[in-house]
Amino acid sequence: MDVRAIDLCATTGGSRLHGASPVTKLVAFAFVLTAVVVQQNLFVVLACLLLLVALAVGSRLPARQVFGLAAYPAIFSLVFAFAAAPDAFTGAMFVVRAVAASLAAIVLLFVTPYPQLFAPLQRVLPEVVGDALLMTYRSLFLLAEKFEHLRVAIRLRSGLTHGHPVRAARATVGALGALVLYAFDLSQREYDVMRLRGYQGRLRVTLPPAASRSFDAALLASAAAVLLVAVGFRAAGATLTPWSWLLAAAAALALLATIAGRLVRT
Amino acid sequence: MSHIHIPDGVLPVWLVALGWVAALALVWCASSRARRTDVRRMVPLLGVVAALVLVAMSTEVVPIAYHVNLTVVAGVLLGPWLGAIAAFIVVIMLALLGHGGVTVIGLNTLMIAAEMAIGWGLFRLLARAFGRRHVGWAAAVATVVTLAITTTALVGLVALAGGGAATGRETGALDSRSLTFANPLSGGIVSVNTLRGEAAPVAPAAPLSVARFATVVYTLGPIGWVLEALVTAAVLSYVARVRPGLVFGEAVIEAERRPAGDEGTH
Repeated sequence: MDVRAIDLCATTGGSRLHGASPVTKLVAFAFVLTAVVVQQNLFVVLACLLLLVALAVGSRLPARQVFGLAAYPAIFSLVFAFAAAPDAFTGAMFVVRAVAASLAAIVLLFVTPYPQLFAPLQRVLPEVVGDALLMTYRSLFLLAEKFEHLRVAIRLRSGLTHGHPVRAARATVGALGALVLYAFDLSQREYDVMRLRGYQGRLRVTLPPAASRSFDAALLASAAAVLLVAVGFRAAGATLTPWSWLLAAAAALALLATIAGRLVRT
Repeated sequence: MSHIHIPDGVLPVWLVALGWVAALALVWCASSRARRTDVRRMVPLLGVVAALVLVAMSTEVVPIAYHVNLTVVAGVLLGPWLGAIAAFIVVIMLALLGHGGVTVIGLNTLMIAAEMAIGWGLFRLLARAFGRRHVGWAAAVATVVTLAITTTALVGLVALAGGGAATGRETGALDSRSLTFANPLSGGIVSVNTLRGEAAPVAPAAPLSVARFATVVYTLGPIGWVLEALVTAAVLSYVARVRPGLVFGEAVIEAERRPAGDEGTH
């Protein structure tokens, strides 16, 4: 996972989803996540997944990174599928549900910069936790960059120790050790900087207003509709279940239309 | 290495809710304790250590699934209370990246916090028993035992989950035995070969097979335990050589003004 690429997409992306209010996006995410988690119908979850894919394609998110990350939980859900699934469809349900839920989180992350995403959480969490969440974001980039430099140095050294995996492994672990020490020194520097700036125990993040209120309303309404449909299928499964494949088919058509629209525009 | 990847929708709602309540209570207790010391110092420290764990977790040792965690290292450096806050932050960030479910942030926090606390306790015990010259052995044994315990806790969690709503599924209109769709429009509007008018089967909830799940994690897990133990031993040995105060000093939360190990930063 390349956190810098994610941050770049979240801060520089120009889609309407990028411009929506962070709070709206968080609420919409909560609706979709609840819809996916409560659902037991494979086709309804599949429809949610396809709609999320359409949203990612329509927002021009980097496909390889988004779908690469979303595929990761599929591997782990396979373990649970193997443990629990009496048949292939239950197994598929585990995988599709995990991938749909993670794709919702990943789309949210790719269209919302971390500080804006954490600001609403920071307000409800204890101050140490909320502020540390924001400091983690800052430190993550510094440490990731430092580690990348260390790895480049190790690769250069490995060129000289080619065929000696043990020596190369020792060098890698040495780099990790150096990173631990660098992290502690970094925390000391950050502490000094924060004291100089008059930090008293609460970092402030200003949330940007929505670019378009009508889009925000549409986004919330769509997410609420997804949740209502999911709850409806859960509550009245016996009546509605035979119709569920229609939802997946409609979502597939929506995805095809989004892809076609994007191809036409490019 | 298998502890944080429980996807969304696998465990029953009551267990997930219980996990959230317990994790929030733990984080609240930990932040109350942190407030007794200089909060301004704790914030950057927590940020960098959480970022360090995230950077380590984003580095795959073996492609796809095996990566180092450095949770025992973080536990040794932070102590159990600050470790709990760091675990919460790490799990939130990972959930947004698709590594572990969003709904299971509570349970995953408890798992990682337990890993940090057990690792911290065992390491201190073993370092005292083995002596300072054998820090690597103490770290390796502490890591293997810690990971074995937390993996067993994960299996226990799955056993606790048992069957129920989370493992139930409906096939929609798809008959899993004949692979044919039950067509809700079978009155005559749509009549294709794969669409038939039959009542949709609703599969009963299947219990999670603890034996099967345990077989998978106890087969794949030990490879990860050994890798993690080797890396943890090497990193802690390195840090102990270069800045022993970080490894052998009291936990940071117990320091009044300056955490152990800062002696080299000024």
